[in-house]
Amino acid sequence: MILPYVCFMFFCGIIPIAYGILEVRNPSWVNMDGGYETFLKVLQDFRVGPALINVFFIIIIFVPLMAITVLSISLLLDATELRGNALMRLLFLIPALIPTGVAVLFWVSVVGPDVVWDHSNIRWFIGSIAFSTGIGSWIVIQYGSLRSIPPEVLEAGIIDGCNRFQLAIRLKLPMISRYVAYMVILLIVSALQIFNEPNLLMFTNMTTDWSLSQIAFSYAFKAADFAGSSALSIMILIPNIILALLFVFFTDFIKKSKNS
Amino acid sequence: MKPVKQDRNSSLIKITLWFMAFLTSIPFLWLIKDAGRMIFAPIIYYDNGIFFVWLKNTSIFVGSALLISVLTCVTAGFVMAVLNVPFRRFLLFSTLVTMLIPITAMAMPLYVLIDRIHLNNTLLGLILASSYFPFGAFLSYLYYSSVLPQELIGMGRIDGLTDFGIYRHLGIPLSKSLISIVTFFSFVGLWNSYQLPRVLLIDPSRSVMSIGIEVFYGQGTTLIGIMMLIPSVLLYLASQKTIARGIFSGAMKG
Repeated sequence: MILPYVCFMFFCGIIPIAYGILEVRNPSWVNMDGGYETFLKVLQDFRVGPALINVFFIIIIFVPLMAITVLSISLLLDATELRGNALMRLLFLIPALIPTGVAVLFWVSVVGPDVVWDHSNIRWFIGSIAFSTGIGSWIVIQYGSLRSIPPEVLEAGIIDGCNRFQLAIRLKLPMISRYVAYMVILLIVSALQIFNEPNLLMFTNMTTDWSLSQIAFSYAFKAADFAGSSALSIMILIPNIILALLFVFFTDFIKKSKNS
Repeated sequence: MKPVKQDRNSSLIKITLWFMAFLTSIPFLWLIKDAGRMIFAPIIYYDNGIFFVWLKNTSIFVGSALLISVLTCVTAGFVMAVLNVPFRRFLLFSTLVTMLIPITAMAMPLYVLIDRIHLNNTLLGLILASSYFPFGAFLSYLYYSSVLPQELIGMGRIDGLTDFGIYRHLGIPLSKSLISIVTFFSFVGLWNSYQLPRVLLIDPSRSVMSIGIEVFYGQGTTLIGIMMLIPSVLLYLASQKTIARGIFSGAMKG
């Protein structure tokens, strides 16, 4: 019964990575001799340094901002009986349902061409689009996780004299901590892989090869260099896999499964 | 949770929330305002009506990948939560790890693989590459861990039910709300997916709406934007009660 799922797990996860590692050995434009030196050669690409700075900028500025905003809104939604709660959640979600292509156009027209064509603003601009389109789904998920807390736990907190703020900080946040960790990790890896926003802004000629994923894309499609593309993609995956493993080992889902 | 008392903090919370909801609604309001000025003609007649090809491709791609992903991950969640299959912990472990690797991260390795098996530039290649949805399997695992007690499964076994019989008679009838929520998250991911179709469907005549939208910059993007928004909103409305009840209920108990 589980076989089709396992097949997709292998087809979409394990096999492409394994194949990608083998692909790196092939001689290519970036490393004519072939071999695993390709990993080092792509790191020496002059575009990688600036792209790393761009990606780290999004991770340092926008990831914490998104996490704090999502948690604040979810906790506020959960803190009070609100008429129109469902409508409000829909309003928060809608920006996440708008296709990235439309969101980019919206932001271009909001800030005006002067801002978009200014080099110094482009990181803030891309970060804002990622923020605008990124928080909606997480608000829905974190609200869902807050609603999953058993009412008796919260009632016990109220009997102990917790006010709403204390309930949120001392009870609700610790109880949903694993979902907060899940969100933060996915926000970090999504920033690491950022592609859509800079790629849709390519008409400004300032976001060509802006992110690491775009460079991997360029290797494959502009230089027909699959080895270089695979090498860079696999290197971006390494921190991702490390974070995922840390998450699994530091949460108790596997333990719960064993107990059950 | 029901608040103990209504006080001025409640009003403050409500005002803050409505203000933030207004701020986040600005893109949507802009879409509505702009859509009034838009006409269908440039979209319909562009490149001999290629819009309809994209619409058809999107329907085939989203419909097929959604069906495959929901079926496989609901079943997988049931198996991991209820049945004693070999490598059960390994499967759960792999699901949790891959749940944290966005499909976009796999775009280039998948492209190389799909290219080698000659499915590049085909909808089949895109459907196969997009049908793995570990978050849905994880939600299903939590759901079935919570709603199907071991005693009930034991009674089913006494009645002579096989693994598939338990799934058919106990798992599927309980899956309505689970399917609605998994369908919603899977649909939104597929419907708005950009990077994977961008990489796997280079030929414009085989493209999908989320990519095709680029050519309409300034002459109809907003109209397509609203059209693309409607199915996601309807699906959300269908599944939001389940979300409001708590999507991770199973994990918080015990």
